[in-house]
Amino acid sequence: MERLNRLLTISSADPDDQRRSWLLNILLLSVATFAILAILSMIAATIIGGTGGTGGGRLIIGSLIMLAGVGVLLLINRYGAGWIASSIFLLLLTVLFGFTDEPQQVADGRSLFLFAIPIIMASVILRPYASFIIAGLSSLVIALVAISIQYVPNVPAMLGFFAIAVVSWLSARSLEHALAELRAINRELDQRVEQRTRDLAAALSREQAEASKNQAILEGIADGVIVFNEERKAIVTNPAMAQLIARPMWKITGADIETLMAEVSPDDKETIIELLGNETFQDTPSIKFEWGDKTLSVSMAPVRAAPDVVTGTVAVFRDFTREAEIERMKSAFVSMVSHDLRTPLGAIMGYTDMLEQAVYGPLTKKQMDVMARINANTSRLLNMVNNLLDQAQIEAGKLTFHIGQFAPRELLTEVDSVMSILAQAKGLELICEVDAGVPDKLSGDPQRLHQIVVNLVSNALKFTEQGKVGVKIYNYDPERWAIDVSDTGPGIPPEAQTYIFEAFRQVEGDQVNSHSGFGLGLSIVKQLTTLMGGEVKLESEVGRGSTFTVVMPLSPIQEETN
Amino acid sequence: MSKPLALIIEDDYDLATIFEAALQAADFETEVIRAGDAALKRLETVTPSMVVLDLHLPQVIGTDILDHIRVEPRLTETRVMVTTSDARLAETVQDQADLVLIKPISFSQLRDMAMRLR
Repeated sequence: MERLNRLLTISSADPDDQRRSWLLNILLLSVATFAILAILSMIAATIIGGTGGTGGGRLIIGSLIMLAGVGVLLLINRYGAGWIASSIFLLLLTVLFGFTDEPQQVADGRSLFLFAIPIIMASVILRPYASFIIAGLSSLVIALVAISIQYVPNVPAMLGFFAIAVVSWLSARSLEHALAELRAINRELDQRVEQRTRDLAAALSREQAEASKNQAILEGIADGVIVFNEERKAIVTNPAMAQLIARPMWKITGADIETLMAEVSPDDKETIIELLGNETFQDTPSIKFEWGDKTLSVSMAPVRAAPDVVTGTVAVFRDFTREAEIERMKSAFVSMVSHDLRTPLGAIMGYTDMLEQAVYGPLTKKQMDVMARINANTSRLLNMVNNLLDQAQIEAGKLTFHIGQFAPRELLTEVDSVMSILAQAKGLELICEVDAGVPDKLSGDPQRLHQIVVNLVSNALKFTEQGKVGVKIYNYDPERWAIDVSDTGPGIPPEAQTYIFEAFRQVEGDQVNSHSGFGLGLSIVKQLTTLMGGEVKLESEVGRGSTFTVVMPLSPIQEETN
Repeated sequence: MSKPLALIIEDDYDLATIFEAALQAADFETEVIRAGDAALKRLETVTPSMVVLDLHLPQVIGTDILDHIRVEPRLTETRVMVTTSDARLAETVQDQADLVLIKPISFSQLRDMAMRLR
């Protein structure tokens, strides 16, 4: 069947031509089959009946001629032009019908209907309009036959031919239009499918590129990554994570967070699980915790399918083991230095004190003066060491606060007793006062507050050459109290006011060249105040003096450590 | 009547000298011990009315000595002045000690405190 179809099909650029040639082939084959059957039946009749004579012989010859004609037409159809073959076929058929019956039957009788066949065929195997040509030809044939036997040509039959031609033309035309439309639709569909396929392929390769890029990032990143789904099960991880917790990747994925973090302390685990459940993730700090023999920090971000649909969490783990070790070493170092630096300083101060107190006999006035200078310088050195240690502790986050009740008036008495000697030595007046409205007891860390005031006062005394230094405690507003430390010193230029609170910074310029120190006093004041929930304000005018104001909350932060 | 005994447990030579001088000035009989284990041993035989105790000591740490003094019935009358340069550590022994002094401690400060506690 397939073979037959291939045999019948003649490829052509025009699908209409191809269809017409195919139809012609079918017709020709039918005719050929008919001719062969006719020949065979004649031969059979001759053999069986011994009749037939010349009539049978003529039929066989006619059939053979027909076969030959069909062969020629098939060849023309295949190798020549389809339309020529069709035209010849239709022409022959029409003319042939003129001789198939008695002339009067052809001109005016039963054979008239035969002419409808080529008229209809023409519309499908040649062109739709060819029906009219064949109708014309048929009319001519029957007219000629009628004239040859002296009949009046049958005009109604001719009109009938043209009516058939009109119907055939209309049907064939509609069919061709419909087919053309179908082909156009198909073409468009093909184009669309092709375009879609191209788009899909492009999208696919883009996605693949994206996926492999993400995979490369995931595998190349130095931090450990675990993606948890909504059930808190690890669904994705990377080699860095596997290395971090010394566990193969396949053992991490699929595990739920509880089993995964079996080695993590319950408190840390609880915090991490809590963080996983938090869907906002806004301002979530990273958490440091011990996992096995490693110190890790973890920070999390939500995985969103849509802006408000969280489908999981990405947890990024960073190895802080070395940093933690350094921090521990630093802490140990600070503790060691704290002891080892203070001990000899303590000895110097103790011995000077003993000499001043005449334990080893009375001193001359000159010797007493020298002792006072040694004491003052040792105090300064001690203060610097203390500031350095505090700075180190603040940086390490190790500074502790001991919040308790303290008497503001007592605080200022202590400050006065320590600092008035230094003030007197410079010929300055030190005025300490507490406003009447201030309560007898306030909350805070008395030792740190003492340190803040001493730092501010020694700063004021250091830079003030004449006039006075005032310290005043007062109610700042209903929720806060404040300490003012004011001086009549040179003032701080506006540009310096921004940086003097930074560690190791002092006002730059000629006026301060004579003042040594690390530039840590104000930095420590600022940091201690901030850690205790307060703030430091500064008002200063060059040539008039400065006022530092430490504003503290009445109910301080209750945390023991920062 | 003999002077009350003050045991000065301090490993630093200079500080021990200064503390000794201060306590003598406060009219105490003084004895300096430089190591924790030696201090514990000495406390088995003497009953000082005052102990000046450094917390950073070799062998036995100061807090152990403080614990020992506080549980030993014979030493209930003994006053303990803890000296340390570690403010955080000082905080933890506040309740057990009669007085906690943060180093550096001046001669006159210790002398005056010792006189007051005598």
